[in-house]
Amino acid sequence: MSIALLAAIGGLTAVGVYLITARSLSRIILGFSLLGHATVLALLTAGGPAGDAPIADRTTAADASNPVPQALALTAIVISFGLTLFLLALARRQQDHTGDDLVEDDLEDRRVAQDIDEPVMESP
Amino acid sequence: MHLFLLALHVGGIIAAAWAGRRSMRLALAAAGIAPAAAAAWAATLMVRGTDSSDSTVVTWVDRFDITFRFTSGPVALMMTLLVSGIGALVFVYAAGYFAPTAKGATNFPATLLAFSASMLGLVWADSVWTLFIFWEFTSVTSFLLVGYKNTDAAVLASARRALMITGAGGLVLLAGLLLLASEAGTTTISQMEPVAGSTAALAAILVMVGAATKSAQVPFHVWLPGAMAAPTPVSAYLHSATMVKAGVLLIALVGRLFTGSESNGLPWGWLGIAFGTASVFWGAIGALRHTDAKLILAWGTVSQLGLMITLLSVGSGKAVFAATSIVFAHAIFKAALFMIVGEIDIRTGTRQIAELGGLARSMPVAFGVAVVSGLSMAGVPPLLGFAAKEAAIEAVLKLSGAEQIVVGATVIGGSVLTVAYTTRFLVAVFGAGPATKVAPRRLLMTVPAVTLAALSLVGFVLAPSINKILTPAASVFNPDSSVYELIRWPGLKTAFVISIAIMVVGGVLGWILTGRKASAPAPIGANLADRTLDGILIGSREVTAVVQHGSLPVYLATMISVAVGATVPFVFDGGTSHLVLWNSPLQGLVVAGILGSALAGAFVNSRLGAALALGAVGTGMSALFFIQGAPDLALTQLLVETIIVVGFVIGLGHLGREFPPVQTAWKTVRIVISLLAGTGVALALAAAGRQPVGSPPLQTIAEQSVETGGGNNIVNVILTDLRALDTLGEVVVLATVAFGVAALARARHSEEVAS
Repeated sequence: MSIALLAAIGGLTAVGVYLITARSLSRIILGFSLLGHATVLALLTAGGPAGDAPIADRTTAADASNPVPQALALTAIVISFGLTLFLLALARRQQDHTGDDLVEDDLEDRRVAQDIDEPVMESP
Repeated sequence: MHLFLLALHVGGIIAAAWAGRRSMRLALAAAGIAPAAAAAWAATLMVRGTDSSDSTVVTWVDRFDITFRFTSGPVALMMTLLVSGIGALVFVYAAGYFAPTAKGATNFPATLLAFSASMLGLVWADSVWTLFIFWEFTSVTSFLLVGYKNTDAAVLASARRALMITGAGGLVLLAGLLLLASEAGTTTISQMEPVAGSTAALAAILVMVGAATKSAQVPFHVWLPGAMAAPTPVSAYLHSATMVKAGVLLIALVGRLFTGSESNGLPWGWLGIAFGTASVFWGAIGALRHTDAKLILAWGTVSQLGLMITLLSVGSGKAVFAATSIVFAHAIFKAALFMIVGEIDIRTGTRQIAELGGLARSMPVAFGVAVVSGLSMAGVPPLLGFAAKEAAIEAVLKLSGAEQIVVGATVIGGSVLTVAYTTRFLVAVFGAGPATKVAPRRLLMTVPAVTLAALSLVGFVLAPSINKILTPAASVFNPDSSVYELIRWPGLKTAFVISIAIMVVGGVLGWILTGRKASAPAPIGANLADRTLDGILIGSREVTAVVQHGSLPVYLATMISVAVGATVPFVFDGGTSHLVLWNSPLQGLVVAGILGSALAGAFVNSRLGAALALGAVGTGMSALFFIQGAPDLALTQLLVETIIVVGFVIGLGHLGREFPPVQTAWKTVRIVISLLAGTGVALALAAAGRQPVGSPPLQTIAEQSVETGGGNNIVNVILTDLRALDTLGEVVVLATVAFGVAALARARHSEEVAS
């Protein structure tokens, strides 16, 4: 297992986590994208060492890289691509309404915290 | 037949709910039919004397033994007679209790019938599932009944208290029943064999505590006096004859399982005796202290239930028979007494004994009923209560050692106090005093009370017939009970002498206490329970306010921190022999480029710069895929990355060039968490790769790909052939995203046009 790849996975995860805990929606989307990269790399790394492209008539099974995680990773790339685009479209909509791309606190949750002093039940 | 009767009850509930929109009396009449039918069914089976152990079994989930089982054994028939017989009388009584002129919609009759049906299901149950489900039904329906006058805060608090205590007890009971079922190897109660061991001991404790909450045993009794806020028909039914007996019934049913084993280490008996003894005395003392006639009866019920549980926990044949007799006698006399208190309440407008007096002259019929039922409660011949109490004393005489001392003190001391509070109740309410103004009699209230009082008397006279009900039922609880019967005239034996002494001492004590001016004690226990409940609610709100703060970044950071915690074990999972620095130096170089770009993207202040950095990371990924030997991934990644960068630039729209400033403190927290997350993931992966399990069938996949898939690019064949359905799903996701993005864009467009 390649330490370089592990470093890439760990590093992308770290930067991704740093970005998705931001307030700015565009940074969150960036972080989301980086976490996607980390996941795909993790899938590939788990599948075994690097090798030749798994094309039957160009290489042997012993030399080829593992094709199964590649197929899974391909799906992962496409799905995270779709999600990222949809997030971008949503961010654009929010921008139209609020003028910025900041994630606000949930007002309902705030209200729950504020009502704490209201009586539980009228005492007799 | 069980299902037919239950269906009849459900039909009755619907009819009563419908009729309740017109008139209370019509609805009560509609609701009363089903209990009357159920009582008639039980009576018929008893008279015919058939071996009516036929049961109804409805299997739901066979593998887990989740089955509804209803039995019509002797216990079920006896309890049906009480639940439905007294139930039918209560419906008649309620028709008198509620003013005939009362207008407006009511769901009271339907709810009362729903309770009655739940109670029937409970007494018929022969599977722990069935028992538990109907047990909870009774808790919920009784909550609705207690809170019937739901405009009064005190009433609501009482109803809530009852629900919380019996509800929590229900959960304890469920745990106990599940343990019991797993120990016994079956969920059918009648097929269970005695259990032993530590799990069985835990089950015994849980079941006993659950039963004690339902049967209002000290210290869980605090809900019962509060439940007297309910209309009196409810109290007469739930809090004397039926619901509070559920715990007693349960203890009776499973008692043989916990006491029948050779190893006598189970805590069952002494725990039950502790609950029972405390309740006998504390309940009786409460009955002597209170000044509200209804509360006197309620506290008396706590005491009587304690007596039944004490005797059942002793578990000897005679004691179990005595307990069964008291269950039967108590249901009859206590329901009648509650009915009388309700009548007094309606006709005089008060239940305070200080304000009542001389009712013996102004309410002679009620007086007669109260005397007969009260003397039955006190255990005076020739009434049913006397025969039951004689059985209890004889059971004590048969015991030995510490058990005889404790149980004897409970039975005899409790009986003395019972005679005392009965005397105080009868003298204070009906005896001398300022004659209270009395409204005219209501026939519908009188008839059921007179019927029940007559039963106390007739039951004693016809004791041989009653024995045909009681002895078989007690034999189910303990086979040794089959030789015992109620005895009308025991002769001048020890037990009878003790009885006479009890009557004399108790009567004198009651007489003295009646003269003493007393004011009602403060409901300390109930207040404590309420404060505890409030504390739980406020505490949960405070927890919610802290945990549910509403900040998305903090939620995410919390979840990630917890996930990072899961990777901690990997840190200690050493071994680096499987690691190499890189697959090729080029790989190391590309990784360095990726990490540099990612860091730049994270910390650059310009939005466009961040987007471009993202593009650089994507391109680096593409190169890594190529090095790894995955050209398909490399190509896809390049394509995707190009589109995303374009999308990002469009998505930025009119936002400022720079990101808004970030709080430094929160930034530090984020950096720490993200470093932990990155390290944790890398370490976990490294540890996971140390011991690969098996090897992928690459050769087979390659051959199959060419032969059946007809393609040399194995990844492509997997996607379009082996996993074709997944890929179709993927296409659907992409199409959905495309529609979503298009819809969002169109919405923007139309808004722009509109403005």
